[in-house]
Amino acid sequence: MRTLSQALAVARKDLAVEIRTKESTNAAGAFALAILVLFSFAFDPSADMLRQMAGGLLWLVFAFAGALVFNRGFAKELPNECLDALLASPLSSASLLLGKAFANVVLLLALEIVSLILFGVLYDVNWTACPWSLAAVFFLASWGIAIIGAAFGALTVNLRLRELMLPVILYPLLVPLLIAAIELTDALLFEKRITGTELLWGRILLAFDIVFTALAMALAETILVN
Amino acid sequence: MLRERTAVGLAIAAGALLVYNLYQMFMVLPDEALQGAIYRILFFHVPAGIVGMIGYFVALTFSLLYLSSGNLRWDSLSASIVEVSLVFSLVNIVTGSIWARNQWGIWWTWDYRLTSALVCILIFAGYLMMRRAIEEPIQRARLSSALCIFGCVDVVIVWKSIEWFRNNHPGPVLSIRTGGGTMDPAMERILWLNFLAILLIGISLVLVRTRQETMAREIDSLRRFANAV
Amino acid sequence: MDARNFTFLFYGFLAAWLIVILYVISLARRGARLKKELEDVKQLVSSNQAGHTAPVEDRVR
Repeated sequence: MRTLSQALAVARKDLAVEIRTKESTNAAGAFALAILVLFSFAFDPSADMLRQMAGGLLWLVFAFAGALVFNRGFAKELPNECLDALLASPLSSASLLLGKAFANVVLLLALEIVSLILFGVLYDVNWTACPWSLAAVFFLASWGIAIIGAAFGALTVNLRLRELMLPVILYPLLVPLLIAAIELTDALLFEKRITGTELLWGRILLAFDIVFTALAMALAETILVN
Repeated sequence: MLRERTAVGLAIAAGALLVYNLYQMFMVLPDEALQGAIYRILFFHVPAGIVGMIGYFVALTFSLLYLSSGNLRWDSLSASIVEVSLVFSLVNIVTGSIWARNQWGIWWTWDYRLTSALVCILIFAGYLMMRRAIEEPIQRARLSSALCIFGCVDVVIVWKSIEWFRNNHPGPVLSIRTGGGTMDPAMERILWLNFLAILLIGISLVLVRTRQETMAREIDSLRRFANAV
Repeated sequence: MDARNFTFLFYGFLAAWLIVILYVISLARRGARLKKELEDVKQLVSSNQAGHTAPVEDRVR
C-alpha cells in the first residue's frame, strides 16, 4: 500500500507538471495528428482498406507518439539533479517507476481518446458500437506500453543517443502486445463482437501486463540505482 | 591459454563432426520425397535456430548470476553468448528464407513463427546496441542484465504464440515435439549431430569473444589507472 | 536430383557459412586490435610509472 501511495504521489507530481507545461502532450498530439493525416496520402483509405488497417494504424500512432512521452518521463528529472534527489529520497525505486507508469498511462489514454475522435472523423469510422470493451482493450494495452515505456525510459535516461535507443529497444519488446491490441481493436471496430480467437488475444494482453509489471517492479532497483 | 586451447579443440571437434555429417547428408541419406535436395538446408536451419534460442536463455542465466554476484565476468559471458546466438539466429532466418523461396515461392511471409524469430533478433540486436552506448562497465553490466531479462521473458511470450495460432510454417517434426516423430529417424539423427557440431562451434566462438571482453575491461582499467597516476 | 533445388541448396549453405565466416573474421580483427591496444596501454602505464620514479630531491629543486 505504501508503494502505491508513493507511486500515486509521483504520478500526481508528473501530471501536475505536464498540465502546466504541456511539453509531452503537445509533441505527442501533434505527432499523432501528423501521422493520421499522412496516412491518408500513403494509402487510399477506402472502406475495405480501413477494415484491414484501422487497428494497426491506431496502435502504431499510439506506440510512436507514446515514445515521445516516455522519453521525457525520466529525462525531465535530469536538470538540477532532480533524479538523484528522487533516488536519494525515501521513495522506493519500484514506487518511482510505478508512479511514472501511472502518469504515462494517463497521458497515453488522453492521447488515445483524442486520436480516436480524430480518426473517427477523418476516416468515417464508428467506434462507439462497443465502447466499454474498446475502453478495456485500450486500457490494458496502454498499461502494458506505459509500464515498459517507464522501465526503458529509466534504462536509457543516462545514455547518449537516448532518443534513438529508447525506440530501438522498446518496439521489438512491444510486438506481442501490439499484435493483440490491433487484433482486438479491429474486431471491436468492425466485427462488433468478440469470438474465441479474440478472447485469446485478450488473455495474452492481460498476461503481458501482469508479467511485465511484476518484472519492472522487481528490476526497478537494478535499473534506477546509481 | 587454457581457454584458447579449449576453443581451438572444440572448433576442431566441430569440424570433424561437420565433415562426417556432410558426408552422411550428401552420400548416404536419400532425397526427401516432396522437396528433393533442398530439404538438406534443414540440417543447418533448425540446429542454428535451436542453438540461438538456447543461447539467449543461457545468457539470461549469466545475467542473473551477474546481478546476484556483481562479478563482471558473468556479464562478459552473457554479452558474448548473446552476440554468438544472434549470429546463429541470423543463419536460421536466412537459410529459412532461401528454403521458403524455393518451396513456397516467396522470400518472407509474416506468419507467427517467422515474425517471432525476427522479433527475437531485433530484441537482442537492441541489447548489443545499448551495450555499445554505455562506457562505464558496471552501469553497462547492470542495464544489460536488466534488458536481457526483459528480452528473454518476451521471447517466451512471442515463442508460445506459435502453439496457439495456425500458421503456414511446417509444424513440429522432431520426435521430442511430436512424441513419435514424423521425420525419418536417420535424418533426425544427422539433424541432432549437426546440432552438436553447431553447438560446439558456438561454444568455441563464445570462449574467444569472452576473452576479448576480458581484454577490453583490462584495457579500460589500465587506462583509468594511467590517467590517475 | 532436381537441379533447381540443388542451386538453392548451394545458396543456402553458402549463406549459412558466409555469415559464420564473416563473424569469425570480424572476431579475429577485433582480437588483433584489442591485443595491440592492450600492449600500447601497458607500455603507457609502465612509462608513466618510470617517469614518476625520478628522485624526489630532483623534482623539489
